[in-house]
Amino acid sequence: MNAPWKKYLPAIACGLLVLAGCNERKPEAAATNHVAALTGQLPYNPLAWKPITTLTNRAAATTSTLYGNDAAVAYARSTAGAAYPAGSVLALVTWAERDDPHWFGAKIPGKPQTVEFVSIGAQPQYAVYRGSPLAQAASDQSGSRIDFILHLRAAVIP
Amino acid sequence: MTIERSSLPRVLFSLVIIGLLVFLAAQFVRPAIGNPPATAELAAPPEVKRVLRNSCYNCHSNETQLAWFDQVAPAYWIAARDVKMARSHLNFSEIAKLPAAQQKGLLWEAVNQAQLGAMPLPSYLALHPHARLSDADLAVLKNYLNPPSPAPAPDDKAKTAADEQYNHWIQASGTKLEVQLSPNGIAYPQDWKNWKAISTTDRFDNHTMRIIFGNDVAVRAIAEHRINPWPDGTIFAKSAWQQQPDADGNTRAGAFLQVEFMIKDSAKYASTRGWGYARWRGMDLKPYGKDAGFTAECVGCHNPVRHNDYVYTFPLEGLQ
Repeated sequence: MNAPWKKYLPAIACGLLVLAGCNERKPEAAATNHVAALTGQLPYNPLAWKPITTLTNRAAATTSTLYGNDAAVAYARSTAGAAYPAGSVLALVTWAERDDPHWFGAKIPGKPQTVEFVSIGAQPQYAVYRGSPLAQAASDQSGSRIDFILHLRAAVIP
Repeated sequence: MTIERSSLPRVLFSLVIIGLLVFLAAQFVRPAIGNPPATAELAAPPEVKRVLRNSCYNCHSNETQLAWFDQVAPAYWIAARDVKMARSHLNFSEIAKLPAAQQKGLLWEAVNQAQLGAMPLPSYLALHPHARLSDADLAVLKNYLNPPSPAPAPDDKAKTAADEQYNHWIQASGTKLEVQLSPNGIAYPQDWKNWKAISTTDRFDNHTMRIIFGNDVAVRAIAEHRINPWPDGTIFAKSAWQQQPDADGNTRAGAFLQVEFMIKDSAKYASTRGWGYARWRGMDLKPYGKDAGFTAECVGCHNPVRHNDYVYTFPLEGLQ
């Protein structure tokens, strides 16, 4: 009476358990947002700076945060205009957006797309980093990008 | 000894009889559930209703139908308590009384609770497996709440209001506001604007954008991968702005709406699962909540991520 299928019982039981496990809806475990990490050689780490504002672009499906060093942040939060003092450095970090695994209705930073720096000296200097890992790339739009970045006004923080 | 031994079956018999009597008596203690008429039922397409009826209506509507095993106390008491609580939070038979925006907010929250496996209650699903939401069911609800739509157009009125707010703020920069305590006694952490951004979220469900700031303890915990649980002393500040679409296709941070805090202190805030919650709204930073009981909302909403120490945010790496 030793039915041959009996030897498969443990495997079947394990399979059912796995299926049952899959059926459970569990939130993604606590983790850092690893895919959004900035890789490559950047002249500064903008994520270690304070944020000035954030913006998104629906068509491009991107989310960006403008960061600044202390001089830039102090200026942006106290003065209207684009005349940042010398020594200010701004960084606009742009990520592809991804669905927030924890909240239907929200998007969070995904893969980094670009990191753009504007440094204020005698003339504003522009540099853009792209790719994975991020590497400096040429740009023929530095003038318009400088203008765009310098005119992003600070998000109101009472 | 012999007397005791011979009385043992009798004692057991008496206990069984007493137990039965208590059980029978318990059947007469029946808090009413009742199904009052559906006065303002949710207006939604039939396929959406089908999903909600199958998975939610039994507790979240005035159409509760108890299975036979739910009719027996003490199971009945649990059912009565759950239905009462469920209806008070979200009742599909009366939801249409609420303003459209509030209805939508409740539905988004419901889908999130379902997506995170918090709803239907796992204990309910164990006995009522037919109520389980399939991925297809969830997709039906999501498509209903977030149908493909054109990009929002710039709103001149909202822009003017945001400009005005910005100008006031810039002119008053550096002036410290007197901020009242939150009703649960939490003082406004003045320094949060000098913290680092641990993440941002684009909340297309309610047209806001957020920066989540973390204090030094939070930033260090991220670097050391000690975020479940987060160490005592961690503070998050989540600041929300209205989304402000411009003519170039960018959506900017418009008017400031509110800032919310989570403060970790496992002993001090043990009653709210180790986190102190507080929220201040508007430019005058008015504390949120009529009394300290407002934190029940916070805990309820964060409960689906209890396995992540109640934190929704996926923090960015490399903040140091």
